[in-house]
Amino acid sequence: MKKINILAVITWIVLILVNLPFLVIIPSSFTAAGFLSFPPEGFSWQWYTMILERPEFIDSLIFSLELAAVTAVLATILGTLAAMALHRYKFRGSGIINSLLLSPLTVPSLIIGISALLFFTKIGIAGTFTGLLLAHALISIPYVVRLVLTGLSTFDYTLEKAGFMLGANPLRVFWDITLPLLRPAIVSGMIFSFLTSFDNVTVSLFLVAPDTTTLPLAIFSYMQETLDPLVASISTVVILLSLVFIILLEKVYGLERLFGLNSQSH
Amino acid sequence: MNKRLPVLLLTAPSMIILLGVFLLPMLLMFLLSFENAQESFSFENYLLFVQDPFYVEILWRTIRVSLWTVLTTLVLAFPVAMYMAQATGKMRGIITMLILAPHLISVVIRNFGWVVVLGEGGWINQMLLSLGIIDEPLRLLYNELGVVIGLTDSFIAYMVLAIATSLYAIDPSLSKAASILGASRVRTFFTVTLPLCVPGIFAGVTLVFSLSMSAFVTPALMGGTSVKVLPVIAYEQIMSTLNWPLGAALAFLLLGSTILLVSAFTKIVETKRYKEVFAS
Amino acid sequence: MEKMIDVELRNIQKKFQNNIVVHDFSLQIEKGEFISFLGPSGCGKTTTLNMIAGFLEPDEGDLLIKGKRMNGVPPYKRELGMVFQTYSLFPHMTVAENIAYGLKLRKQSKAEMQERVQRVLDLVKLPNVADRYPKQLSGGQRQRIAIARALVIEPSLLLLDEPLSNLDAKLREELRDELKRLHQEIGVTTIFVTHDQEEALSLSDRIVVLNHGSVEQIGTPTEIYHNPASEFVHTFIGKTNRLHGVVTKVEGNRMKVQTDKGFVVSALQPAKAVQEGQRVTVFIRPEKIVLSAETAPAGVNQANGQLMMTSFLGAFTECQVQAGGEILDVKVQMLEKLAGVTPGSSVLCQWHEEDVLVMPAEGDRL
Repeated sequence: MKKINILAVITWIVLILVNLPFLVIIPSSFTAAGFLSFPPEGFSWQWYTMILERPEFIDSLIFSLELAAVTAVLATILGTLAAMALHRYKFRGSGIINSLLLSPLTVPSLIIGISALLFFTKIGIAGTFTGLLLAHALISIPYVVRLVLTGLSTFDYTLEKAGFMLGANPLRVFWDITLPLLRPAIVSGMIFSFLTSFDNVTVSLFLVAPDTTTLPLAIFSYMQETLDPLVASISTVVILLSLVFIILLEKVYGLERLFGLNSQSH
Repeated sequence: MNKRLPVLLLTAPSMIILLGVFLLPMLLMFLLSFENAQESFSFENYLLFVQDPFYVEILWRTIRVSLWTVLTTLVLAFPVAMYMAQATGKMRGIITMLILAPHLISVVIRNFGWVVVLGEGGWINQMLLSLGIIDEPLRLLYNELGVVIGLTDSFIAYMVLAIATSLYAIDPSLSKAASILGASRVRTFFTVTLPLCVPGIFAGVTLVFSLSMSAFVTPALMGGTSVKVLPVIAYEQIMSTLNWPLGAALAFLLLGSTILLVSAFTKIVETKRYKEVFAS
Repeated sequence: MEKMIDVELRNIQKKFQNNIVVHDFSLQIEKGEFISFLGPSGCGKTTTLNMIAGFLEPDEGDLLIKGKRMNGVPPYKRELGMVFQTYSLFPHMTVAENIAYGLKLRKQSKAEMQERVQRVLDLVKLPNVADRYPKQLSGGQRQRIAIARALVIEPSLLLLDEPLSNLDAKLREELRDELKRLHQEIGVTTIFVTHDQEEALSLSDRIVVLNHGSVEQIGTPTEIYHNPASEFVHTFIGKTNRLHGVVTKVEGNRMKVQTDKGFVVSALQPAKAVQEGQRVTVFIRPEKIVLSAETAPAGVNQANGQLMMTSFLGAFTECQVQAGGEILDVKVQMLEKLAGVTPGSSVLCQWHEEDVLVMPAEGDRL
């Protein structure tokens, strides 16, 4: 007889709890009733067809996806360039640039949001796509820098030298050797940036215009007025979308590694 | 070869964003926080915290909610981290996935799920009512309890990660050594395992506390109008009252008190012995 | 006078899933004995040690320490001392606190604790490190402290789990002598797990050679070296030349073997008796072959050859000799003394029949 492992029991309770929101939302989005309830009553797709009748959700979904995609591309290119430069050329002061680039992670997003609003109002880009894009890039770049720097920390520069010795020019070496070896870090940086932008509420909240809003914010405002199964169905769409990217991230890089939990020490 | 030039060139785009969207705006916001209603320089906004008991109460509430969040995440995360440290590679991967994946889905949606579970007509109340355990619905939402539940859900992953990382780093033969020297499992836990993962606990506590102090979405959605924490008040000043200087000052006061409390905490826990053992 | 048996393993068996990792292990260890478990990784030596320590439970069989059955007794109630490969000092405790840990659990008074800590620190010749933290010590010092921590509780049995394998070569030798001295001084019954035959040979009163979870042989170092019970024991314990052949004649306790490559070898009858016509394997250790520059007709226990290659290793030279169709490894002390012998020279290899080991061929090897 095996003794019941109390740690395992607590662990599984915690795991169920942190996933409980999704376990509740997804079923209740299929309710046939006109109000929110769990367990759901009956089964119907009505709350999904209802989404189609609400242009504000469709619009904000498209807006969010566009914003997240452009943010991801921008943050990945800029962050990767910066990280590669910082790792290759070390000099007095490169440490300062490094910590400056990572500094947005240490300041509450509330302050980032407020300060961006104040400044963007001054220069006239508050409430525009550009303003949102810049702010989202700001909070995504540090993740890309960190991931690419981690990828570079195990990068063997003699491989590049070997490439040169075999007659490849610098561009070919970068394209054939450096980039493929860093690809997992760069790709996961891009996916992570996408998710960061797609999920963001706190910063976006200060920067959206009333008519063009991101999806999480649309849900946020809708929730503060009414709670009906429509929130559940639109949330389910977001959950499934996010899940695709999470699984991608797990396949490309591994969540354990992404969150710095990669010690296979025993 | 001058190394600075390529670095400056390649980091320039990121640095421009950093300067233009972060450093410069923060500076402006800081200056603005010293502006009074007459648009002249004054400490009025900051003095509110000393003079107006309303703001003192709000600050205290913010700290209280954050402390409760730290406590619940710690109590729940520790066993999870312990279990992860014992588990085999595959099981560890599954647990990591299940604890981290929710973290990558918008907090608005997670909070919404909790509202469905905890609301007056929510799942828990329905169940307890139908079982006859309670006569009228419990108030689990739109109070401090609701906020703490929401924040715990949001930040538990950080606590688990911090503690698990420090547990993974402990040589498993240390507990074997304690055991063969005569220490029971409980004794081994308290004399070997726990002292050695103290840095992880500290890291988790500081991080979760800082995050809870500045959390905004969860208190807004799960605390409703009755649990106004400092970030919510700051938001209202900025977006509804349009008193930007006061909003800015509130945000900096929040940041300032968080830094103050965290450094005080660090000062207390980092004894001479702690530094000698854990300094790298 | 009857000998005191300190530890007894009776038909111990352990499975992981469906793999038998320890098979029918029986052993009696006398009080004060230094015994080694020797074998390659995965042979079951560490698993057995862990069962004696109490970290694992045997699936079958009994484990007795000082006559008491220990199955099911947790490690912390067994009163043993153990030293691990990775030192395993508690990093958050000073050296003195590390050593006192076991004493504290035994509720000793402060004064007594201090005295015993100092005594054991003197014993391991590190009297002045009590207030340091483990990370302030060198690898060798850490392992001495680990030994001190294990000894201070005066354990009924000391378990050493490859304690030297994380140290560099010179320190390893130093600490090996230290272990020997400590054992002679204290006389605590000791089980030493290692994969290094030199360590086992130099330290042990008896060696248990393990392979694939089974005991291959139990014996004193000289028995193991000179009278190996199996081909595995012989090859594991040192370099050897292996020749295949057929027994042509058995006469009393002597025999002759004709090897496939044309040598005639005479030998003493092995423990596992062989018969005429049986296929056998013949082993001759490199250091038992004598090399000379003479030329003589090939005969019993001698072969003509050509020196192929030499590697000078200081105290001796390793040579390869092409003789008949075989390549023989030969260890020569002072090859310089053999005038005119260089790679390419003709040489004569000779050996004594006592140094030849014959075993029945394993399987139908061609």
